[in-house]
Amino acid sequence: MNPLAVQIAGIALESPLVLASGVLGTTASSLRRVARAGAGAVTTKSCGRTARPGHPAPCVLPWPGGLINAVGLSNPGVEAELEELAEYRRTCAAPLFVSIFADSPDEFGRLARRVAEAQPDLIEVNVSCPNVESEFGAPFAADPEACGRVTRAVKENAGAVPVSIKLSAQCASLARTAVICRQSGADALTAINTVGPGMWIDVGTGRPALANKVGGVSGPAILPIAVRAVYEIRKAVDLPIIGTGGVSCAEDALQLIMAGADAVGVGSAVYAGGVEVFGEINRGLSAFLKERGFDSLAQVKGLAQREGRA
Amino acid sequence: MNSILPSRAMRSLPIKQVVTHSPELKSFLFEQTFEAEPGQFVMLWIPGLDEKPFSVSDVRDGWIEITAKAVGPFSRALMECQAGDRLGLRGPFGRGFRPRGRGLVVGGGMGIAPLRYLVHWLERDRAPFRVALGARTAAEMMFVGDFSRYGAEFATDDGTLGRQCLVTGLAARLCADESFDVIYGCGPEPMLVALKKLADERGLDCQLSLERHMKCGIGVCGSCCVDGSGLCICREGPVLDKAELDQVADFGLPHRDATGARKPPRT
Repeated sequence: MNPLAVQIAGIALESPLVLASGVLGTTASSLRRVARAGAGAVTTKSCGRTARPGHPAPCVLPWPGGLINAVGLSNPGVEAELEELAEYRRTCAAPLFVSIFADSPDEFGRLARRVAEAQPDLIEVNVSCPNVESEFGAPFAADPEACGRVTRAVKENAGAVPVSIKLSAQCASLARTAVICRQSGADALTAINTVGPGMWIDVGTGRPALANKVGGVSGPAILPIAVRAVYEIRKAVDLPIIGTGGVSCAEDALQLIMAGADAVGVGSAVYAGGVEVFGEINRGLSAFLKERGFDSLAQVKGLAQREGRA
Repeated sequence: MNSILPSRAMRSLPIKQVVTHSPELKSFLFEQTFEAEPGQFVMLWIPGLDEKPFSVSDVRDGWIEITAKAVGPFSRALMECQAGDRLGLRGPFGRGFRPRGRGLVVGGGMGIAPLRYLVHWLERDRAPFRVALGARTAAEMMFVGDFSRYGAEFATDDGTLGRQCLVTGLAARLCADESFDVIYGCGPEPMLVALKKLADERGLDCQLSLERHMKCGIGVCGSCCVDGSGLCICREGPVLDKAELDQVADFGLPHRDATGARKPPRT
């Protein structure tokens, strides 16, 4: 038996590692490459109804704590994306999660209906992109009731395809948001999106370095925030959680699993470690289980939720 | 895990010197704050306008040089920049040329820029090489004096410099007359496709520098992934070797635009 195998929302993954949305997720070829590098599932870059070029450059910058990005939801539009997904399906067996974004619950519903026709393994609903506020307003994720409305709209249109809502660490109450998402029909939750927005200023010119001025912060700097968020959500609901945020090594992934995650998103770590980071984390997880005498990740999940003395 | 190179964070530097080859073709020199190999590139930021990748055209005496031609809004704005102006310069990015054996260096148009640094490297390593360069017209041929010192052969579309033929014609003739281990190439993709074919026919290795729509420069956003292997041109490229080129499904075909969509075929 594969000790790294996990199930989320009825989907069997060979590894708990999921390529997080936004990284190497535009084309069938790049998704396939990440799956072959060891991801248990891959998530596409968020797609909308129509093509978007995204924000001008600079749009992704590394800094000592990770990355800051304002890519701005660039995507080729749902019809072109579905062609990519069909090609991925023909050539790769690892489960495929499709991320979608829209500016209203109705639009989310229409998009979900079209995407569901392609039968992805899961639809991930991006209600938490922090770098398009000037265009789309505050993310739905900031408002628990708005998250609920989007969840209902997607679920009414997604048919049998399971739905995960991608939450932000920055909202009135993560616990309440998670409960409302579950009551609205969510099959899983992804937490968290990038944090912020933040800003990086080039001191030589005194100007914000991102063309969009602000962008979502990701990478090692946000791991503790993601761990806390997953811990809070696990306390509040029994839904599967794809814990995402700042994971670069097996110990980081274990923190999220011990906080209560069922699967672990990996994205920005590709910058420092390349796609090989998926294989490295898998090997580290296997070594940990063996060394500690665990048969599966299920025995590790949620360990941090225990109270009292060891 | 690799650490995040500080030189890849955004940092502006003053231009130390501008070398004007023509009003539309200039080189910009900056203090060298990081190492770069031939074929690697930097991201150049004009604050308030845009950021674009540029290959390094030379590194010498503690200076790093990039060379640009006025072709679009960004490069036209760059032509207006003067010594003392601060531009963002970060790098190095990607994988460059890996010199081996006797080389045939082939460049076309703006693709000649990184080859200048390459031949300086080959000369330093005392590696034997020949050079064939092509451009539309003599005025667009970069670094003619510098390359002439290495016995470079030139081809132009209009015959204003060297032979009136495609540079791939010069390359084919050199391959017939002399023996090489590897073809180094940078230029328009149809030229690269012809060089790959030449290398295959002659049983030579080849290292060719490809271009795709680039955004992040660090192998994260996925804009520049080739079809087939899915390699990022900004990270595993821009220089790909023969085995890697065999896995590029869109080699010589229309690429993707800023949205990630495939551009329609040229008609």
